[in-house]
Amino acid sequence: MTHQAVRVGSLTLKNPVLTASGTFGYGLEFAPFFDIEDLGGICTKGLSLAPRPGNPPPRICETPAGMLNAIGLANVGVEAFCTEKLPLLRERGVTVIANIFASSIDDFVTLANRLDREPGIHAIELNVSCPNVKTGGIEFGRDPHLSGEVTAAVRAATRLPLWVKMSPEAADLAAVARACQDAGADALTAINTIRGMAIDPERMCVRLANRTGGLSGPAIRPIALRIVWDLVGLVDIPVIAIGGIATAADALQFLLAGAHAVQVGTASFSDPVAPLTVAQGIRAFCEHRGLSIDDLIGRARTSATS
Amino acid sequence: MTPSHPPSAPSNQYRHLRVPLLRRESVGNAYHVLSFEVPDGLPADPGQFVMVRATTWGNSPLLPRPMSLLTGGTTPEILLKVVGEGTLRMGRAEPGELFSLTGPLGRGWRGPHPARQPLLVAGGVGIAPLLFLARELASSGRRPLAIYGGRTSRDLPFSDDLEEVAEVHITTEDGSRGLRGRVTDVLDDLLTPESEVFTCGPDRMMAAVADATFARDVPCQVSLEAPMACGFGVCLGCPVPAVSGGYLYACQEGPCLDARRIAWYPPTSQRGAR
Repeated sequence: MTHQAVRVGSLTLKNPVLTASGTFGYGLEFAPFFDIEDLGGICTKGLSLAPRPGNPPPRICETPAGMLNAIGLANVGVEAFCTEKLPLLRERGVTVIANIFASSIDDFVTLANRLDREPGIHAIELNVSCPNVKTGGIEFGRDPHLSGEVTAAVRAATRLPLWVKMSPEAADLAAVARACQDAGADALTAINTIRGMAIDPERMCVRLANRTGGLSGPAIRPIALRIVWDLVGLVDIPVIAIGGIATAADALQFLLAGAHAVQVGTASFSDPVAPLTVAQGIRAFCEHRGLSIDDLIGRARTSATS
Repeated sequence: MTPSHPPSAPSNQYRHLRVPLLRRESVGNAYHVLSFEVPDGLPADPGQFVMVRATTWGNSPLLPRPMSLLTGGTTPEILLKVVGEGTLRMGRAEPGELFSLTGPLGRGWRGPHPARQPLLVAGGVGIAPLLFLARELASSGRRPLAIYGGRTSRDLPFSDDLEEVAEVHITTEDGSRGLRGRVTDVLDDLLTPESEVFTCGPDRMMAAVADATFARDVPCQVSLEAPMACGFGVCLGCPVPAVSGGYLYACQEGPCLDARRIAWYPPTSQRGAR
């Protein structure tokens, strides 16, 4: 049995498969399906200081090989998460990455402070790339200066490993990525959803109440792979890949491109066991080839094309 | 179902199964019944649902479809109407085809109250959770009243089965069977102060049914249909505006809900104020 643990900065994950924020709830919803502690980790639904009701319906719609969502960061709020959800995750020994969202730098700092005191949180993922809220979110993630500022402020507020989730829509993603690295990020997560639209021709109206929504699923995988490849070449900190990963073969592409870990997202909707299946598939691949995870990471960067 | 102990929380006993299609039957106008083989059984309450997807779909359609259960047990059944790509594929599925089934999900019908007269109001494919309920009532020796409406006589799947377990009044919009008109044309005559209404069908029908029950101060539950990607409270794609403010999630609080909790069905007197 090969060693599947990977290091992302100072944090060691059991295996390279995490779940993507917004597609795995607070983790416990998946406990009836499998032992969620067997994953490398889970990224929580984006947490804000106060609970948020989210956007009016319709919020989701299916598209070719993907879906659009405009949930609007509905969540229970950081307090309810810490008191109601986290103790149960801690009991199970789940590696928890708290995804946080705020519309001001001060609020990001308050959130980080609050989570820093909680045992059972293993890292913080900064959501500076949500396309579905009016303030905060993508406004930070598009701007290298603001991204750096948020990252530096949160960095100063917590000792926890800090990951920053990249928007694919930044005009100069390289500058955003470098700014986050320079401000003390321990890893970059890429990519968040890409904004899209759908119109119902029968009813002659837009399908989402928010008009636009974030596109996720296999449809965005090649774009995500290109961005992850570029980021790995640009920064020295680890990159965690996300974007349409549904199978071990998908995940392997991102590891071979140089990602240290992957997040399974939309696939958990059509197959709730997908994250575990991906982790098992990567293990089987390693065993079959006699390779370790470390042997895989970035290997396609140096190989000739087939 | 244990009528005196309605489910107070959504089931956390759901499972993700890969099971073969046992049988597909076409019924009337673009309706199909799919039966699955679940040897150890799917213990479901009337009104609960499953997320259904054939493993052969690949990446498109990507998402599973929420489907009310017609029955649970070792050969759980769903009833579908072909309305889009997913249901079109299901309507062509062959026995043996492998499906993924997640469930049972959500909260089924509360009650029914032992001292009230159950009155089921179904529109077309909305018959599924109500036939399930009527059969459960029959097994405890009760015979509910039912109103079953459709566009035509070919839009009344399982009407014979319903008639076995309920006293049924049929309406069709074209008059090809039963009374020409809509379910609400019959409802007022059948409602009594002792009624308890359970309804499932098109949103506008349920709104009209709910309205009639409010006017008579009679309890009413609706079974909601909402787009959803997961079915167990994760995607947050199925919010329903709540009278108390904020949203209820159809997959968690529903799909069966007290109509008075939903902002879509305020009594007519309040509707202008929305």
